Amino acid sequence: MPIHERSLIESERVLRKERLVIDGIDVSGDWNLIILPRTVEDYDLDFAKEIMESPDGKTIQQCYQCSYCTASCPVHNYWDDRYNPRHFIYLARLGMVDELQKRVDVMWRCVSCHKCTHRCPKGVLVEDVLKVILRVMYKRGLIGDYPSKKFDQFFTESVLEYGRIEDGELLFGWMEKQGYKIKKDPILRKPIPFFSDIPRWLKDMVSKPIKEGNISFIMLNAKHMLFHPRTKEWNKFKQVLRRVMEEEGALAKGG
Amino acid sequence: MGIIGKRVAYYPGCSLEGASRAYDVSTRIVVKELGLELDYLEDYNCCGAMESKNVTFMGTMLLNARNMSLALKRGHKVIVAPCNGCSFSLQRAEYFLETDRKVFEKVNELLKEGDVDPLDEIPHTYHLLEWLYNEAGPQKVKERTVRPLKGLKVANYYGCLYTRPHFYSRTYAHAGGNGEERPRKRETADDDEHPFYMNELLEAAGAESVYFEPMHTQCCGGPHSLSDEDVSKKFVMMILQTAKRNGANIIATECPLCHASLEMYRYRLMLEGIEDVDVPAAYFTQLLGLAFGYSVDDVKLKDNLSDPIPVLRRLGIA
Ligand code: SF4
Ligand code: SF4
Repeated sequence: MPIHERSLIESERVLRKERLVIDGIDVSGDWNLIILPRTVEDYDLDFAKEIMESPDGKTIQQCYQCSYCTASCPVHNYWDDRYNPRHFIYLARLGMVDELQKRVDVMWRCVSCHKCTHRCPKGVLVEDVLKVILRVMYKRGLIGDYPSKKFDQFFTESVLEYGRIEDGELLFGWMEKQGYKIKKDPILRKPIPFFSDIPRWLKDMVSKPIKEGNISFIMLNAKHMLFHPRTKEWNKFKQVLRRVMEEEGALAKGG
Repeated sequence: MGIIGKRVAYYPGCSLEGASRAYDVSTRIVVKELGLELDYLEDYNCCGAMESKNVTFMGTMLLNARNMSLALKRGHKVIVAPCNGCSFSLQRAEYFLETDRKVFEKVNELLKEGDVDPLDEIPHTYHLLEWLYNEAGPQKVKERTVRPLKGLKVANYYGCLYTRPHFYSRTYAHAGGNGEERPRKRETADDDEHPFYMNELLEAAGAESVYFEPMHTQCCGGPHSLSDEDVSKKFVMMILQTAKRNGANIIATECPLCHASLEMYRYRLMLEGIEDVDVPAAYFTQLLGLAFGYSVDDVKLKDNLSDPIPVLRRLGIA
């Protein structure tokens, strides 16, 4: 028997009178509880199929809804109990896409800690499966950009371009995307932290090595910011990588 | 001891050659002192970390397969990575390449197209800590220690991906549904719920471990450190407060991402006036380096944003 999903029953569908007497019999309280039925017509079984097509999504079919994953999940336990990996898998398998859509505000919050995958007794790669659910939803236009999606995209495109990532670019590039005004030098268009409008913690972080005269650290990071570290034998491989990613629809729309 | 190999391919990862160079420098020191050898994987590429896997499956397989191919070319069957994210990514690719024939063939085809040697076998990846414990171990650390870390009360922070998930790093049981089971028990692996390798290495160097469960493997916010500040801040607060309240005067780390996240949010929490979050962090290799007689500058302790130097000075270790 499936676990009864209380969250699938909207409050309007629950009828229950405090006081009720029918034919002289007192049926007050829970005795008269009625849940109005609801017919689900807009389910989409192709949704689960599409998830299973990806090698990291196919273990979704092994789930038997025991909820070990949810019980282990720190986002569920310490942040918001609406975040429920077992439930997302349940909805995805039934193809109840609209119910998933109602939960997009929490669905992206998974921190990839892999407690769920580690403990799943059925060998479901839970974390991977959840990411594939999001990926498929995004591809089908069922959800827009969410914060971690923007970051993933930003990160991945930097890897694709250079073969390597650079901490300064990620940090300041991300701050810029968040709406902070990052000052750049006129020639190379690289960020100049000190004249930028950034939060105090970040300013203090950047000034620590300067205050302490940690010259070699400053030089190394400045060098990397000016000349992005690159993988040398990259161009040919990059083309293949780009093509594969395009085929998967992994590159930013229009980019 | 000695099942993994004394000379292995070294995959430092992007972070260790930038903002986390302290981890790289101290790792090299410790490895040399313990009589082991790392062979730098020239011209490697990013592993895709925890980000790229969310947007592309095949892309991350390729990124990691290229690094594996470089290792094989240099004659290595073992890769050591000091970062939880890097070792995870390589192990995850290893898992799919081992268990899914189609993925393996496709990856090799694409590698060839990109002028990279295809894989004729799949090298295994180990986290630095696992390698050091198995190839050198506490006994060797004890022998090498000239300045015991006396009085240092350490909260050993392992983070998420050093122990999880066991599918990628320890066993291929119930491998992804292609009907084929390939259980592979990994004898060298740390305990998955109660890891202790770092505790033992630092204890061998004279430090004392404080009780730190279950926060020793609680997530720091990881890939969401920048994109989800609310959750990350809360997680780091829980970690730091547990460390402090259990009597730690330092947190030992073994991942540049965890380390950066702890240090960054520690400072932000302090600015907000949150209590009991001021424990500084140091890489376990930095602490071992000090114990082996190296100086604060040698192990680049000044690079640590959380500044553990005062604590270490007070105890006469630095
Ligand atoms: S732990 Fe595994 S089997 Fe149990 S509900 Fe979660 S995914 Fe399904
Ligand atoms: S990986 Fe995500 S879903 Fe799984 S336990 Fe961690 S936060 Fe929860």
